[in-house]
Amino acid sequence: MSDSQPELDLQRTRGIERLKEGTYGSFMLVCAAVTLLTTVAIFLTLLSDAISFFQAYPFGDFLSGFEWSPNDTGGEQLFGIVPLLVGTLVVTITSAFVAIPIGTLTAVYLSEYASPRKRAILKPMLEILAGIPTVVYGYFALVYITPALQATLFPNMTTFNALSASLMVGIMVIPMVSSISEDAMNAVPDELRQAGYGLGATKFEVSTGVVVPAAVSGIVSSYILAISRAIGETMIVVVAMGSNATLPEVQNGLLGIPFVHPGDVLLEQGMTITVAMVQIVGSDLTGGTVPYDAMFALGLFLFVVTLIMNVISDIIAERYREEY
Amino acid sequence: MAVEHDTDTTAFGTVSRLRGKVFEKLSLGASLFGILMLAVLLVYVTVDAFNLTSASPEWLLTYFLTLIIPFIGFCLYSADDPDLTRQTVLGLLGGLGAVRLAFYLVETFVRTIPGLTWQIVYLFAVVVPATAVVGFAGSREPVGSVGFGLLGRLIGGTSLGFMLVILFFVFEPRAWFWAYTLGLVPAALVLGYSTRRPKSPISLTVIPLVLTAGVLATRPGRPFTTIGIPTRLDQAVPVSLPGGVSVSVVALYLVVVSAAAAMAFKYVLERRTDRASEASVLAFVLAAAASVAAGQAGVAPEPILEFYAGYPTTWLIYVWTLAVPLSLASGGLTALRTSRRTGIGFGVGVFVLAVVGSQLAAVIDISPKTAILFLLTVLVPTVAYVRQVLDRREGTPGLVLPVVLVAGVLVGAVIVDIWGVARPDIWLDWPFLTNGPSSLPEQAGFYPAIVGSVILITLVALFSFTFGVGTAVFLEEYAPDTGIGGFLTRIIQVNIANLAAVPSVVYGLLGLGLFVNLIGFGLGTAITGALTLTLLILPITVISAQEAIRAVPDSMRNGSYAMGATRWQTTKNVVLPEALPGVLTGTILSLGRAIGETAPLIMIGFPNTIYNPPAGIVETTTAMPMQIYVWSSSVKSEFRYGIMAAGVVTLLVVLLLMNATAIVIRNRSEQET
Repeated sequence: MSDSQPELDLQRTRGIERLKEGTYGSFMLVCAAVTLLTTVAIFLTLLSDAISFFQAYPFGDFLSGFEWSPNDTGGEQLFGIVPLLVGTLVVTITSAFVAIPIGTLTAVYLSEYASPRKRAILKPMLEILAGIPTVVYGYFALVYITPALQATLFPNMTTFNALSASLMVGIMVIPMVSSISEDAMNAVPDELRQAGYGLGATKFEVSTGVVVPAAVSGIVSSYILAISRAIGETMIVVVAMGSNATLPEVQNGLLGIPFVHPGDVLLEQGMTITVAMVQIVGSDLTGGTVPYDAMFALGLFLFVVTLIMNVISDIIAERYREEY
Repeated sequence: MAVEHDTDTTAFGTVSRLRGKVFEKLSLGASLFGILMLAVLLVYVTVDAFNLTSASPEWLLTYFLTLIIPFIGFCLYSADDPDLTRQTVLGLLGGLGAVRLAFYLVETFVRTIPGLTWQIVYLFAVVVPATAVVGFAGSREPVGSVGFGLLGRLIGGTSLGFMLVILFFVFEPRAWFWAYTLGLVPAALVLGYSTRRPKSPISLTVIPLVLTAGVLATRPGRPFTTIGIPTRLDQAVPVSLPGGVSVSVVALYLVVVSAAAAMAFKYVLERRTDRASEASVLAFVLAAAASVAAGQAGVAPEPILEFYAGYPTTWLIYVWTLAVPLSLASGGLTALRTSRRTGIGFGVGVFVLAVVGSQLAAVIDISPKTAILFLLTVLVPTVAYVRQVLDRREGTPGLVLPVVLVAGVLVGAVIVDIWGVARPDIWLDWPFLTNGPSSLPEQAGFYPAIVGSVILITLVALFSFTFGVGTAVFLEEYAPDTGIGGFLTRIIQVNIANLAAVPSVVYGLLGLGLFVNLIGFGLGTAITGALTLTLLILPITVISAQEAIRAVPDSMRNGSYAMGATRWQTTKNVVLPEALPGVLTGTILSLGRAIGETAPLIMIGFPNTIYNPPAGIVETTTAMPMQIYVWSSSVKSEFRYGIMAAGVVTLLVVLLLMNATAIVIRNRSEQET
């Protein structure tokens, strides 16, 4: 392309050579442009249908509606996103409770304690966790985890429930937390550790008091990425969580403080944003109807949320990185 | 000072070994938690897929003795390490006692363990890990590596043959015949010619030629018959344009070819008209003929298939399009490695073996056209490998490994037959792999889903490799670092990182909006699915390809530039060959992601049930994960615990094979450097 060639044509480039260069160069450019176009296409596709949805259904009702019933069966079609947000939050938070402690500890172990040999075995095995298809995780949750939990801890659990789906989502995102956090911990220079040991600190104190704080920006950004992955996770929740978009019952507890019993949320069915999308597409693919457009509105919401989380994670990783 | 001294001693006093130990164990436990959980779930799903709980202990024992013990024996023989042998024997025996005891204790005092017997626990908790350790130790010695190498070629060849059979089922062999004869053969000739004379303008025509072949290979005309013309953003009217796009592709191709031909003519006039120029003109005549024929195929797709009265049979097509080039290639390679004579002998041998062998296969009721595919994919690499091992005279005993395993299976079957041992009702059996879906669990099968996945993955591999490598090369080799171009490059780079984090279900919406509604490829068709999945994995492919390209040392590039090579020549001749193993590894791993994705397929309207596999890329299809999802809504316990488990295991085995291929490629390239 813009080769800074001298006037004297040392390469003895002929027209045909230059044509070839140009052809291949522009082919590569087109390829790179495809990635940009993908983003634009995603945004336009989602936006165009989302706009027609908001023309038919007020934006305020969408954001603050407490009922989600898109099906055209007799009653009124309501598109309130709140129950879906609750379902998504339940899955995200529960899976974060699984993935964040386990993932962080794994990262500490891999970066501080494990011998090179152990690390060489453990790391690829952890990557396997991320490589298993999500529909398989959903199958595991539905067919093995739920009956196991029913038989042991929670006899009242329904066949489709939020807990086993969230557990599987958590296990799936462990490698995401652990690998990014471990990279951050590995980037902490050895001088800091040696200084810690020099002051008489134990390995435990160095790991938790020196390495983890020094790598905290990377660790936090790994959490955000993992959470954003959990928000967008589809198949596990579709297969194992059921599809019941109801809000949990608010009970009046001690001292009149309203609370929600965790069992009402975790052991029952629920519906996330992704499940709602899959459910609509299962019943209505023709296009042009309000539910069909609502699906794109949900997609847009999901896209924007994950994009924002990604950007935040980038900013944290960049801005709060300790420079050594 | 004194005060400080005091605090120091108290601080030393509180140093707790226990806390450190506990933390270390805790973090080790955390790293193992996910892995162990997955391992347990995988054991359960395997047990369910093979219905091992219903297997009688005698059946398990028979195959343990005829299959697993000989395999362990082989690995120990290869490892040739008395310590390892002693440990293995002790481990297997001790494990037997320990598992029996532990299982008994748990069953008596705690509760019954659902879905497992102690034999199965022993098999998965002791025998499988022991086999893995012994297998790993054995594979590092020459005998074992030869054995596993041969086994790998047999398994890989069989999978490849299976894939080819499926692909030829979808892309009709007659179309392939045209694509090969009119597109690929001239392209290969031109390519061969242009490698000898790289400055010749003819080398420009290679890509259009291969493109033509691609257009032809996708079953002429058919893929493009229902191209939608978008009238409004939200509405696309599918109209029938018989081969309309094919015509425009061919027209474009004709323009390129004639431009190149004009240049070649000029070149011929300017230079001396020696034999090389004549050859170039000849190649152009061939190319022009190809384009005319392609035009025919594009305008009237079906007639040209009927037009050719003496159409070769499928078997002859395979001989001409696969056996001939493969024997040429293997003969040529052998000739390069050894002598011309052995090369010719080997090439002829391969050809004769394929032709005669496939005809002989009719005797055992296998159609010659299937047989020739398997002969070529399995036998040729195997024979080549055996020859190589025999030449090297190292680890030759390893060649018996496949024989040992096959013999083990046969002997086991005979024993089971003779003594009437009760056989388990295995879900993952041959009918499961070859039947269509059914509401009866005994008859339900995975075949259309497997075919669909093979088509999807082939198309995705083609698309994502092209676009992924193109983007990566652009970003690493071509893109400017500074100025407005540099800014754009950075945007592309950030954008790729962000695309990798977009939820897959959103890609499904993109596919639905863009490929289904706007362009009109149709709901649930293979081409829609493949394009959507390509966009989904493109970021991963690009990032891994970029890493591979970045790993090529700059000194190699500079060496190439110093010799006067242009940027494209450097990329093509230096960077890409060096980065290829890395690029391939990354692409295969990201394909593994694509083959397991379900959410986008649901969004673009993959149908719930398909009884017959698709016969083209614009027909609705299904895929393995999609079928698993559909089964998951079934309430019958045979489906939930049997059929679904079998489907999951099939999918995981395919993934395992793909990842193993990637690892083999990576290890190879690491050994070479």
